Amino acid sequence: MASEYKGPVQAYVIWIGIAVFTFLVLLPIYVLIVISFGAPSQTVATYYPYLVPTKWTLKNFISSFTGIGQNFISAFYKSLETAFLVAGLAIVLGFHAAYGLSKLPGKLGNLIIGVLFFSTMIPSLTVAIPLSETFLRLGLYDSFIGLGLAQELIVLPLSVFLMMGALQSLPKQLEDQARVDGASFGQALYRIIFPLAIPSVIAAFLLSWLMSWDEFTFAVIISPVHPTLPILIYLASSARGNILTAASFSLLVTIPVIVLTLVLSKFLRGSYLTSGLVG
Amino acid sequence: MIATRAPLRLNDRMIAYLLILPAILYVFVFAFLPSVQTIFGSFFLASGKFSLYNYQFVTSSFGYSPIVNTFEVTVIALTVQFIAAFLIASLLSKPFRGRAVFSAIFLIPFGVATIVTAVIFHNMFSTFGGYMNSFLVSIGLKPINWTGGFWPPLIALILADSWKNTPIVTLVLLSGMVSIPSDLYSQAMVDGAGAFRRFFYITLPNLAGFIAIALMIRGISEFNIFAMALLIFNRQLLTTMTFSLYDTINPHPAYAGAAILLGIVLIFATLIMLYRSRYVRVV
Repeated sequence: MASEYKGPVQAYVIWIGIAVFTFLVLLPIYVLIVISFGAPSQTVATYYPYLVPTKWTLKNFISSFTGIGQNFISAFYKSLETAFLVAGLAIVLGFHAAYGLSKLPGKLGNLIIGVLFFSTMIPSLTVAIPLSETFLRLGLYDSFIGLGLAQELIVLPLSVFLMMGALQSLPKQLEDQARVDGASFGQALYRIIFPLAIPSVIAAFLLSWLMSWDEFTFAVIISPVHPTLPILIYLASSARGNILTAASFSLLVTIPVIVLTLVLSKFLRGSYLTSGLVG
Repeated sequence: MIATRAPLRLNDRMIAYLLILPAILYVFVFAFLPSVQTIFGSFFLASGKFSLYNYQFVTSSFGYSPIVNTFEVTVIALTVQFIAAFLIASLLSKPFRGRAVFSAIFLIPFGVATIVTAVIFHNMFSTFGGYMNSFLVSIGLKPINWTGGFWPPLIALILADSWKNTPIVTLVLLSGMVSIPSDLYSQAMVDGAGAFRRFFYITLPNLAGFIAIALMIRGISEFNIFAMALLIFNRQLLTTMTFSLYDTINPHPAYAGAAILLGIVLIFATLIMLYRSRYVRVV
């Protein structure tokens, strides 16, 4: 694309486009900040809220932790536990599966990739409802372990594809060389292959963590009594809750995640998402 | 060397099978068994009797509008997201100063949780204390009742969903655009092809594989749009309908809703696969 003609007109068009989309991307974030820190009389308690409030306050934030907001700490903790379980499992199950798949002959490998790919198409609701029945019987209902096991379904295939793409690009000789030099299978795998695949492992970990942090469907069905943060925000913004609580918690949930997303963007390439699906 | 390698390979393959096994078992237990349970369960009553009653119950209490609404949302949202993603990806595929910064900014919505997006847009598009109406009034237009009529709630939902999900489409399309050799474009320009012809005869055909992937990823999630619809959309979608049927004492009507959802998603996925196998040659 670099060889396309770049006249002054095109430069203007690019900058106008960039400006428009930057505005659209940042506008909702601005609204969230305004609702969280603006005086309620100028935001939620007026028919036409001020586009730029003149009074700012920290009171919304402090009063968020009353009422339904008292559950914030436990919800935060539950979200955290679940996200780390999901991301950890994605690496443990996913890395080994990705390595195994990169060793398998074409036909069988494609079949397994097909099965994994097919599992990403199954709607969460279709799985969540029967799982909630099973978990009730097994005592996993409302626990972070049950929720994590269920959420794993949305992240596992993607993690496998992501790490498989990276593993396939490693030179085969490295591993053969290590084996010839007397390294055992495990040594070659964990000492040679794993460190080389670290960027894709980090990407898979962060992506899984983020998807679990964000996940709503499984959480609302499998863990409604002791909710995760997204469910708490949902409860706070629905009829019985307080919209200011919802907005403040939304901001608290969002800030660390935006930071993580920017970190992730260093590791994640669009081509990762497409590996495993291509071919 | 050769003598030691042959048995080693065989061993390796056994270990490869063993390493894949846990992931396969996981998918079997947590994806396929529950799906089968949903499909079977949808044909039985709580008493254990085979019956089509669950489906009759669903269609008699909700009609076919959840299916129609789901299709409307999916088609319009995909159109909006692909147009926006094409524009952003073609901007980002050009070299200009600060490109890395803007790539990062355009990725921000991807990191904002779905429910947070729903809360924000719920506030922007509410009739009481809504920022969109404030803006409309401030430029001298009439406020709109965003929860009434056909288009207003649909527009609010589509905008919220597209804001959140355009980045992932952009990411996939951009990685495709970067892979198109620039010679193709310079050749076409020498031959006198304008921007539109270059887009339709070079960019689109070369992107077919990436478009199929983005359609697959987004299309399936679009049918499953749930959290946002709960907060922003006042009509029923297949997901919200199934959720309102959900009951741990008698899950069978919800099974019927979930089975319909599964069926529609699988039909959609098959169509995309057909498109891929027909139009994508070089992969």
